[in-house]
Amino acid sequence: MTERKPVLEIEHLSVAYDSPRGPVQAVNDVSLAIYEEEIVGLVGESGSGKSTMAYAIMRLLKGVAYVTGGSIKINGKDVYGLSKQELRAFRWAEMAMVFQSAMSALNPVMTVEQQIADTIRSHQKNASSAEIRKRAEELLDLVRIDRKHLKSYPHQLSGGMKQRVVIAIAICLKPSLVIMDEPTTALDVVVQRSILDQIQEIQREVKFAILFISHDFSLVSELASRVAIMYAGRVVELAGSRRLRVAGEHHPYTEGLLRAIPRLTADDVVIEGIPGNPPNLVELPSGCAFHPRCAHATERCAVEEPRLQKTGQAEIACHLFQGREVPQHV
Amino acid sequence: MSDDPLLRVDELVVRFPIKANGQKTFIRPVDRVSFFIREGEVLALVGESGSGKTTIGKAMMRILEPTSGSILFDQKEVGHVRGRKLIDYRTSVQMIFQDPFGSLNPVRTIEQHLQFPLQKHQQLRGQALDERITSLLEQVGLTPVAETRIKYPHELSGGQRQRVAIARALAVGPRFLVADEPISMLDVSIRAGILRLMNELKEQYRLAFLYITHDLASARYFGDRIMVMYGGKIMESADSRELLRRPLHPYTQLLLAATPGHEEKQALPETSNLPPNLAESRKGCPFASRCPHVTAQCEQEEPKLEEITDSHAVACHLVST
Repeated sequence: MTERKPVLEIEHLSVAYDSPRGPVQAVNDVSLAIYEEEIVGLVGESGSGKSTMAYAIMRLLKGVAYVTGGSIKINGKDVYGLSKQELRAFRWAEMAMVFQSAMSALNPVMTVEQQIADTIRSHQKNASSAEIRKRAEELLDLVRIDRKHLKSYPHQLSGGMKQRVVIAIAICLKPSLVIMDEPTTALDVVVQRSILDQIQEIQREVKFAILFISHDFSLVSELASRVAIMYAGRVVELAGSRRLRVAGEHHPYTEGLLRAIPRLTADDVVIEGIPGNPPNLVELPSGCAFHPRCAHATERCAVEEPRLQKTGQAEIACHLFQGREVPQHV
Repeated sequence: MSDDPLLRVDELVVRFPIKANGQKTFIRPVDRVSFFIREGEVLALVGESGSGKTTIGKAMMRILEPTSGSILFDQKEVGHVRGRKLIDYRTSVQMIFQDPFGSLNPVRTIEQHLQFPLQKHQQLRGQALDERITSLLEQVGLTPVAETRIKYPHELSGGQRQRVAIARALAVGPRFLVADEPISMLDVSIRAGILRLMNELKEQYRLAFLYITHDLASARYFGDRIMVMYGGKIMESADSRELLRRPLHPYTQLLLAATPGHEEKQALPETSNLPPNLAESRKGCPFASRCPHVTAQCEQEEPKLEEITDSHAVACHLVST
C-alpha cells in the first residue's frame, strides 16, 4: 500500500516568526509525506503550528514569517525552488487550499460563476466562455449546489453553500493536493457532516490527496487514514486513524486529547482534560515542550528533546517509548 | 422548601421585525416555548444556529424583553420588570458568554473585573473586598492568585479568560447561570477543565444552569436534561441519557447522526439542508422541509410537545399518534 507515489513530501521543515523578542519557532523540524489519493489529518491546538504549516506548503507565508530550514516537494517539485512565474502556474494547478472562513475567502462583489471563471482564466488564458460555463456547471453539480446559483453573489448563499463553492474553486484545476484548513469549523454540526461526506465522495471521484487540518480529534479520525498530531510546532505522533480511536500506546498528549472530549457513546466516562495551558511559543519549555503538562514526565524530558521514532505501528516523539518499557495507560 | 422549580418559563415568545421586499414583517426565533429548571439542575439547550437557543438565553438574562409569555424566577414574574427590580433580578442570574476574548475589558486587570460587581452589588470594600476576590480566583482555579490579579486579559489563555468570566459571574452570588457555548471557542485540551469547574460549582452552590450548546456530546456530559430546539420550537426534551439512547424526534436523530464519534457512520437522515423558516406566517412543523418521514399533516398542522413518559416529551406527529 505504501508503494504509492508521494504527492507531498515535507522534510525537516522549520518556520519562524520574527518577534520583538527574537525569532519564534512556529514549526520545528517537521517531516511528513502524503501519498496519492490519501487523506491525512493534522490535529493540533491553536498555536501548534498547523496553519503555519499549511501556509508554508502553499508558499503563502508573508511578512514576519519565513522558512528557516527543510524542504517541501509537491509531485517531486521543490515549492521553494520555483520562480515567481512558475509558482503562479503551479499554485492551484497542483496544490490548492480551502480556508477556514468561507465568508471571507469569496469576493463579495463577484458572482459564483465569475469567481470560478477567474480562477480558470488565470491559468488557461484561452479558455472559451462556453468551456468555462460548462466546467463551472460540472463543479456545482459535484458539490451539489443548484446551477442557478452560478449567478448568485456570496451573500445570497448560506454558510454551508459558501464553503461548498470554496471547495469547488479549490478543485477546479484538478490539483493533486488540496489543503483544507478547518473547513467546517464555523458550520453547524449537521452541515459539517454533510460537507465532510461530500468531501470524501468528491475525493473518491476526482482523486486528489487531502491534508485536513483541524482541532477536532474525533472528526479527523473519522475522515483521514493517517493523523499527525502537532504540539508546539512539532509532530508528536503520527499514526493510523483507527489506532487513534482507542487508548493504548500513544504520546501522553494524544492520550490526554483522547480523554479530553466528552463522547456520545461511552457511558460515565470521566473526562479529564490536560492540566496547564497550551504552550507559549515565545517561552517554550526546555526539552520536550509538553513536559510541564505531562503526568509521565521525567528529568530527562526537561532537558532532552525526544525525536519522532517508530514505535509499533506509529511514530511517536516521547522518551517513554524510547528504549524503555511501554507505559501502562489506563 | 416547595417543589416549585427555580425557573419556570411559560409560552415564551420573542419576535423580531425584519424587512422583506421593503415590507415590515416579523420572525419568531422563539415561538411559544415552555420549560423549567430546578435548583442545582443543568438544562442543556441544544440546536443549530438559528434555532433560537441564544435568544432564549438572552431573554432569561433579560438582555431582551420577551414579546409575550412569562418567566417566573423563584415564583416572581421577571419577564417585564424594569429598573431596580431588574437589577435585583440580575444579582441572581448571570451569564457566561461564548467568546472570552470579547467579554473581558482589555484595559482592565483581572482584579478590576471582579471589583466592580462586588462593590456595586455586595457593597464590599477594603479588606473584605480583597479577600473575596482572592477566594473567587482560587475557586475558579486561577492560582497563584497574587499573580493573576494584576494581569490583563491579553496575558491569559482562552481557558483562563473563561475562568475569569466565570469568577465574575459568581461574584454577585447568583443562583442561576446562563452559559452560552462556554467551551466552543476554547482549545480541546482545556474544555474538559471548564466543564469540570462548572460541574463543581453546580454541586457546591446548587447552582442552576441553562447550558446552551450545539454539541450533543458535551450536553450529555454536563446536562441533567437536554432540550432540543429547531426553528424556535422545542422538538424534544428528556433526561440526557434517555435522549441519546432513545431519540424519538427525527431532528434529534439527525443531530445525533451528524455528531462525530460514532463507531459506524450512517447516511444523514435528512432530505434537504434548508435553514428553518422563522417567519410568523409559517405553518406546520418547522422541521417538515428536512424531515425524511414528512406527511401531509406535518406541513399543515404544528405538532404539540407531548409527554411520552414523565421525563420525555416530543413534538412530532409520528410519535404522538
